[in-house]
Amino acid sequence: MSYYEQKIPPVRDSRLQLADSYSGSACDLLDCQKEGCLMRKNRSFWQSGSCQMSLTLMMAATVQNSVIVLHSPAGCGSMLGPIGVSSNRGRVQRGLPPTPANWLATDLTETDVIGGGERKLREAIEYADREFRPEIIFVVSTCAPNIIGDDVAEVVESEKDKVSAKVVGLHCPGFKSRVVASAYDAFYHGLLRDIPFEPEPWKDYVPLDPSDPKYPMERAKENYQKSHTINLWNATSIGVADENEIERLLTALGLKVRIFAEYSSLDEYRQISQAALNVSMCNVHDDYMLKYLEEKYGMPYYIAGMPIGFTETRRWLVGIAAHFGLEAEAEKLADYEEKLAREAIEPFLPKVRGKRAIIGGGVVRAGAEAVALAEFGIDILSIKAYHYDDNAEDVYAEVAEKLPDAHVSVSTQLFEFSHQLRTLKPDFVITHNGTHGAAAKLGVPSVQLFSTEGAFFGYTGFWQILRRIVFALGNTSYQTRLAKHIKQPYRDWYWEADTFSFIKE
Amino acid sequence: MSEFIEKPRASCALGGALAAISALPEVIPIVHTSAGCGGNLMNFLAFGGGGLGASYCSGGSAPSSAVTETEIVFGGTDRLHEEIESTLKLIDGKLYIVATGCMTEMIGDDAAGTVSEFAAEGEPVIAISTPSFKGDSYAGYEILLDGIFNRWLRPSDGKDAKLVNVFGIVPGYDPFFRGDLEEIERLGALLGLRVNTFFSPSQTFDNILSAPRAALNIVLSRTRGVEFAENFEERHGTPYWATELPIGPEATDAFLRELAGKVGATNAEDVIEAENERYYRYFERAVDSYADGDLRFFGVTVTNSSYALPLNRYLYRELGWVPADVFVTDSLSDEQKESLTQAFAEFPAAPQFVSGATKIARAITHNHPESRGERYFDALTPLFIVGSTYEKQTAAKRGAKYLGVSFPAFDRTIVSQGYAGYRGGLRLYEDLISAIMSAKG
Repeated sequence: MSYYEQKIPPVRDSRLQLADSYSGSACDLLDCQKEGCLMRKNRSFWQSGSCQMSLTLMMAATVQNSVIVLHSPAGCGSMLGPIGVSSNRGRVQRGLPPTPANWLATDLTETDVIGGGERKLREAIEYADREFRPEIIFVVSTCAPNIIGDDVAEVVESEKDKVSAKVVGLHCPGFKSRVVASAYDAFYHGLLRDIPFEPEPWKDYVPLDPSDPKYPMERAKENYQKSHTINLWNATSIGVADENEIERLLTALGLKVRIFAEYSSLDEYRQISQAALNVSMCNVHDDYMLKYLEEKYGMPYYIAGMPIGFTETRRWLVGIAAHFGLEAEAEKLADYEEKLAREAIEPFLPKVRGKRAIIGGGVVRAGAEAVALAEFGIDILSIKAYHYDDNAEDVYAEVAEKLPDAHVSVSTQLFEFSHQLRTLKPDFVITHNGTHGAAAKLGVPSVQLFSTEGAFFGYTGFWQILRRIVFALGNTSYQTRLAKHIKQPYRDWYWEADTFSFIKE
Repeated sequence: MSEFIEKPRASCALGGALAAISALPEVIPIVHTSAGCGGNLMNFLAFGGGGLGASYCSGGSAPSSAVTETEIVFGGTDRLHEEIESTLKLIDGKLYIVATGCMTEMIGDDAAGTVSEFAAEGEPVIAISTPSFKGDSYAGYEILLDGIFNRWLRPSDGKDAKLVNVFGIVPGYDPFFRGDLEEIERLGALLGLRVNTFFSPSQTFDNILSAPRAALNIVLSRTRGVEFAENFEERHGTPYWATELPIGPEATDAFLRELAGKVGATNAEDVIEAENERYYRYFERAVDSYADGDLRFFGVTVTNSSYALPLNRYLYRELGWVPADVFVTDSLSDEQKESLTQAFAEFPAAPQFVSGATKIARAITHNHPESRGERYFDALTPLFIVGSTYEKQTAAKRGAKYLGVSFPAFDRTIVSQGYAGYRGGLRLYEDLISAIMSAKG
């Protein structure tokens, strides 16, 4: 049975080779992946990290006119507080009205843990339907019901007939995977099983009448439109400015762009099947969904790195253009854009050339950005990927070729991050949100690896990346002052030892 | 039978315990759950607590057994043992607290047993049981207090008549805990006392160690920390006084008089006179803009049970507002609800125990219908809602003024400010009126 037919999605740990603990070079990383030693690595010390559920919630909370019902104890929904705030920010950026993030939790208590909590879940789903009148109810299955044996998938199925909203099951218990990237698969699995991707006659279009003399013309028009339409798959870390930049470039090639799956509505989801190509902007984000769409609708997909920096953006654009026979146009567009952008970045280059940097965060973005920045003379000391899986292989083959001397690690761990900052003493660090405080306390200026407040992709994005670095280096007094006063929790011996002392086979 | 809940305003017991540990100097948490719990709970606290980021070793630095499916199937105590060993080796601390979560409790991991192996070797490691299904963050705060003060600390030989402990203010979930506690420390010092508040930045680990010698425990809540204080009294023989956090001069005058009586301080009236002198020299110059500006309101408050009483007392007595609805959002026992309701007898509004933002918005509409264009309609205006960020849109829909003072406070930055005492009273005035003035220009 294919993964897509199963009620509950697989975690990446069972679908792909993946790693959360590694230190070496890109070349050794690829060897280790081939030999299988990557998966055997672990740590004897761990710090708190993220939960795949919270990333699934980040995606679900953006969906228009939806309500989230968590089958969980009261604490699991904690992240939805800040997520509600950030998804409202995203709505406003896209011209949508801010809405309260409505969500319920079944609040599993000791009695429920013993006796089961399915009744409460049913009541919560039905209440959500009556109270909020949403189009979609996301039902989230967390650690607790998976341990006590509540059949959330069955509840989801049987509630479909009882409520007017679409009921979507999201199965993402945190303990199932230390690698949060499974979250994307869990969200997509729910969507593809429970949300229709095909337009409905009379609701979405007026069916063409074959006896109408205009029929052949209308039919041809429709086919032409579909054959020039792209579905662009976004992500929580990809902001509206990036969407706009990519849409701008693809539109310039005469292609129509529709953006999924965050900030979309039920009506919009029905258009998913009506495109010529599915385009991912991150190798480790969308393969689960895009392979499904290929299997189900015969839609080709394009997963080929991240359009960061001139070289990658050109390759990425031309690759998409190739699906439409537009390679020559794409090359010309890239020539034109690059010329403008190269002039624009000129003033920044003397200020960043030769600066020593560490770059860390999402595996694809960190690798792609490292390569792009190295091209302009930034000295990449180390790349720190939050996880690694087979889908990132191409990106790291590129890293191995272009940055053979750079250190590569797989780590989400703040102690290792702090150790690297203190021992490698970079001029600046480009890093994931949630770690800038740790960098500042060690006196290291930092630059956002991504932010929904600006662009990172394409030509304007790369200009902005360099501008951010120059801005960060413009005044480092805050970090320098802080580092004099903040005490680190790690014992002295560790600063003398290897950063990755706690990694074990 | 418990029911589902809408958008809870606190996290789980683990979240409450971790928030409290993060405010204790040199106390290191070891989270015995899957890796994500620590991160999730920290994020809610960090954003909801008005920008309360990580401390010395909390949030993303907090050690975690990070259990996965293997441990869920085969048990997680080996992993926990390894994690404690590594933590002791790497992290410099004076007390290490293993806090459990749902999954490791459900599979029956014996965290206490694992910890006792280290304790037997003289390592300062304790375990507390904090799964979500045992209670919310407020419960977690008390579980933590119990673990440190009533189990780990040994009873002392004697008492220090000038030393008092303060409990009842829950770090993070009372977003102004640091500023509030510091004002209590300041007031206590004016009466000649040394005040252990444990969770404010002026405290050190020695304050924890000295706790058993205190002559009095002050519990600044009628709901939180009372049961703990009873157990403290049983173990250490320290009597407790459950009162409320004083906000504004009248409440603080009364607090100081009663405290002075309990500890035998004789200078309370001098302190009260000096503090009132200062308070009113500031306040008198705010009078014109307040009185001319017609800034009295009907008040709707949405807070936890600890803040409901002092906040309404301040609005009612110091600003002359008319309390219209008092929503108390944390989960309470029937006795706790009863005792809070009794305490509100002197106010024109009684507490309503509701948590969901939608239910609260509906209750306001139900209790105080809005005009449908009638010529004579006694609507609830002008209205000021003092609550959490979850009330922001409720207030906007109703055309009410709004200030966020309760958790979650996504729309505030809170560093050192607090509303307790004389200084806090002035601060609360500034914040309430600034919420109106910031629209000008």
